[in-house]
Amino acid sequence: MTDAGAAQIGGVRFLGSRRVYWRLLLRGALLLLLTLGVYRFWLATDVRRYLWANSEIAGETLEYTGTPLELLLGFLVAIAILVPVYAGFFLAALDLGPIGQMSGLIAFLALGVLGQYAIYRARRYRLTRTIYRGLRFHQDGSAWAYALRASLWWLATFFTLGLAYPFQVASLERYKMRHTYYGDLAGRFDGSGLRLLLRGLPMWIAIVTPLAVTVGAFIEVVDWQALADAAAAGGDDVMSKIEGSNPAIGGVVVFALLMAGAAVTLAAVLYPAFEALMLRWWSSGLRFGDIEIRSTLRTAQVYGAYMRFLGYSILFCIVAAILAGVALLVVGLLTGGDTTSLGGEIAATATLLGGYVVIALGFSTVYRATVKLSLWQLGMEALQLSGLPALDQVRASGRASSALGEGLADALNVGGY
Amino acid sequence: MRSMSAGTKMVPDTNMPSGAAVFFDGKTSARHQALVVLAPEALLVATPDGRMLAEWRYDELQELAAPAAVLRLGRRGNAVLERLEIFDTELAAAIDTRAPHVDRTGLSQRRHRGSVIGWSVAATASLLLVAWFGIPALAARIAPLLPVAVDRKLGDAVDMQMRSLLDRGNAGAIECGAAEAEKAGRAAMDKIVQRLEAQAALPGKLRTFVIRKPEANAIALPGGQIYVFRGLIDKADNADEVAGVLAHEIGHVAHRDGTKAVLQAGGLSFLFGMLLGDFVGGGAVVIAAKTVLQSSYSREAEASADAYGAALVNKAGGNAHGLATMLSKIGGATEPGMKILLDHPETRARVAAINGIAAPKSTTPFLDAKEWAALKRICAE
Repeated sequence: MTDAGAAQIGGVRFLGSRRVYWRLLLRGALLLLLTLGVYRFWLATDVRRYLWANSEIAGETLEYTGTPLELLLGFLVAIAILVPVYAGFFLAALDLGPIGQMSGLIAFLALGVLGQYAIYRARRYRLTRTIYRGLRFHQDGSAWAYALRASLWWLATFFTLGLAYPFQVASLERYKMRHTYYGDLAGRFDGSGLRLLLRGLPMWIAIVTPLAVTVGAFIEVVDWQALADAAAAGGDDVMSKIEGSNPAIGGVVVFALLMAGAAVTLAAVLYPAFEALMLRWWSSGLRFGDIEIRSTLRTAQVYGAYMRFLGYSILFCIVAAILAGVALLVVGLLTGGDTTSLGGEIAATATLLGGYVVIALGFSTVYRATVKLSLWQLGMEALQLSGLPALDQVRASGRASSALGEGLADALNVGGY
Repeated sequence: MRSMSAGTKMVPDTNMPSGAAVFFDGKTSARHQALVVLAPEALLVATPDGRMLAEWRYDELQELAAPAAVLRLGRRGNAVLERLEIFDTELAAAIDTRAPHVDRTGLSQRRHRGSVIGWSVAATASLLLVAWFGIPALAARIAPLLPVAVDRKLGDAVDMQMRSLLDRGNAGAIECGAAEAEKAGRAAMDKIVQRLEAQAALPGKLRTFVIRKPEANAIALPGGQIYVFRGLIDKADNADEVAGVLAHEIGHVAHRDGTKAVLQAGGLSFLFGMLLGDFVGGGAVVIAAKTVLQSSYSREAEASADAYGAALVNKAGGNAHGLATMLSKIGGATEPGMKILLDHPETRARVAAINGIAAPKSTTPFLDAKEWAALKRICAE
C-alpha cells in the first residue's frame, strides 16, 4: 500500500495526467458538436470530477459528487423561470411609451442582477458537491443580497474606470467566504483591496494612459460646436459635413486607432501577469478557522502556461488550415456547377459552418487543456497551508443544494468551471 | 493480508481477502487507518486493533470520483458521507468482482454515456423538425387568435422606427401626396386602394403612404399600414401593376404575416438560443439556422401573398397579370446569392404562379389615363 502524499502533509499536489485531460476534452468537444451543445452538462461534470479528484490537500484528494442530470434539471428549471421573464421584456419592448423605450436598458440591468444571483447560487451548488475527508463544504447567506452588492460594485467599478475593482473583488470575496463552511469550520477572507490596488496600479496606468491621451487629443482638436451642428442638421451626408466642419478630425481618428491598438496590445501582453496577481492575492486571503493559506505562485509560471497555449495553437492552426482546405474543396465541388441545387447549398453551408465550429471548439479545447488546466495546477501547487491540526476535529454540517443556480448561470452565460 | 489480534469483535478469517484502507466516518474529518475484510456478504471495515467501524453490503457500494490509483467507495443513497479509500490494486479488483455497482473497467459508464449521446442527437433532430414544421404551423394557428389590436400595436412600433430611419432631416417631407401639386395623385392612389379594400374584407382600415425614396419596393406593416416607394410608381407602366403590388401587400395584412414573423422569430430564438448551442462556436450555428429557417418562412409568406393578391385583383375586376409584369421588372432575370437565404421565391416561379391565377376576362382598368398621369406625379414636390 502506498499512502499517497503522506510525506507531503501540509502541502498541496496535483496528481492528474495531462493526457487523460486532453482525451476528456477532445471527446467532449466532438460530442458537443454532435449534440449541438446538449453534452455540455456531461462535459462540465467530467472536468470537475477530474480536477477535484486530482487535487490533493494535506494528503487527501477532493471529491466532486455532482451529476450531469442535476445540471440538466437545473437548466430546465432555469428555462422555465426565464421564459416568462423574456416574454415580459419582449412585450414591454412593443410598448410605445417610455417603458418601451427603456425596456432594453431595464432588461440589461435586470438580467445583470439575475446573473450575479446565479453566480452565487452556482457557487453554492459546487461547494455542496465538494467532499473532503468525508465532509461537505457548504455556503449560506442570501443570493439576492449578494446580487445587489455585486451589481452596485459593478456600477462603481464602471464609473471609476476600474479603479474600484480591487475593492469590489475584496468585498465580494469577503461576503462569499464569510458564508462558506467546510463542515462546521467557518471560512473568511483576509485579502486587502488596497493592497491589490497598489499591486495592480502600474498595469492600470499602462493601459489607461494611451486611452486618456486619445480622449485629450479629441477634446483639444475637435470643434465640438461645429460637430454638434453637423450632427443636428442630419441628412444623407452627415459624415462629409462633419469632415467639412473639422478638417483635423481625420488625423485625430488615426491617432485614436493607433492608441487603442497600443492599449489592446498592452492589455493582452499584461493579462497573464494580471491573472497571476489575482490568483496569488485571492489564494493568500483564504482562511478556514485556524487554517491559513498562502500562495507562492510566480508570474513567470503563468506566462509559461500561455506560451504552451501559443505553441499548441500554432500546431492547431496548421491542422485547421488543412481541414479548411478540404472543406473549401468540398464546397467548391458542391457549388461549382451552374445549376446549384437546394440540397447542394445546404450541404455547402453546413460544411462551412461545421468548419467554423470545429475551429472555434478546437481553440477553446486547446485553451482549456493548456491555460485553464495549468492555472488550476499551478494555483494549487503554489499553496502553503498552516494550522492544519484544525483539520482533525471538523464536524459534518450542511446539506446538498439544488443546481438551479448552475442552470441560470448556463442560460445567462455567466458560468465558471 | 494480516491476521487480527484475538478478543475483538471481528472474527478473523485468513481465507477472506483483506487489506489496509483509509476510512472517514462522514461525521468528523478525522482520518482512520483501517483494515478492510471482504466477508462473503459484506465488506467489513475495522480499526487495526479490530474494532468494527462499518459493515457495507456489496450491493450498496458506490464508486466515487478519485485519482486513478485510488478506489474510493461510499454507500449508495446514504446522506452520511462515509468514505473508504483503497490504494491496494488487488484488493480493489477483489471488491470490483463482488460489488455489482462498482465497475473499474468503465464499461457501464460507457454504455450509459452512449445512451446519453443517442438521446441528445435524437432531441437535436426533433428540435430541428419542430423548427422547420412546428413553428410556422404554430404561428399560423396563434396569429388569428390574437386581437387585431396586437397587429396595430406592432405596426405602430415598426412605423416609428421606420420613420426615424427614413427621416430626411430638413430636406423635405418623406410622404408624397400632401403638397397641392400632388393631391390629384393621392386621390388616384386612394381610388385603387378603395376598390381593392372593398373586396378584401379586412378586419381593420388600410392606411397607405407613398414614400419619397427611389427604390422600387413596397412594404406592409402589421395592422394595415402599407408603404409604397416612389421608385415603384416610376417603374410601373399602368395602374394595374401598381394595383397588383398593393394587392400583394394587402395579402400580407390579411394573412397577418408581420405578427406571424414576430411569433416565428420568438419561437426560433427560444428553441435555438435557449435550449441549444451554449458552447464555443454554437452562436454561429444558431444564427445560421435562424437565418435559413426565417428565409424559408418568408418565402412561403411571399408565395401565399402573391396568390392572395392575384385573386384579389381578379375579384376587383382588374388585370392580375399586372403583378407578374411588375415583379419581372423589379426582380430581374436571375438573382445572385444562395437560394436558401432568399426571402422571396424565385421571380420566374412567382410570375408563373401569378399568371396561373390571373383570369382577365372583361377587366376594368383601375384608373383612366388622366388619373394614371396624376398618380405618376404623386411625388412631384
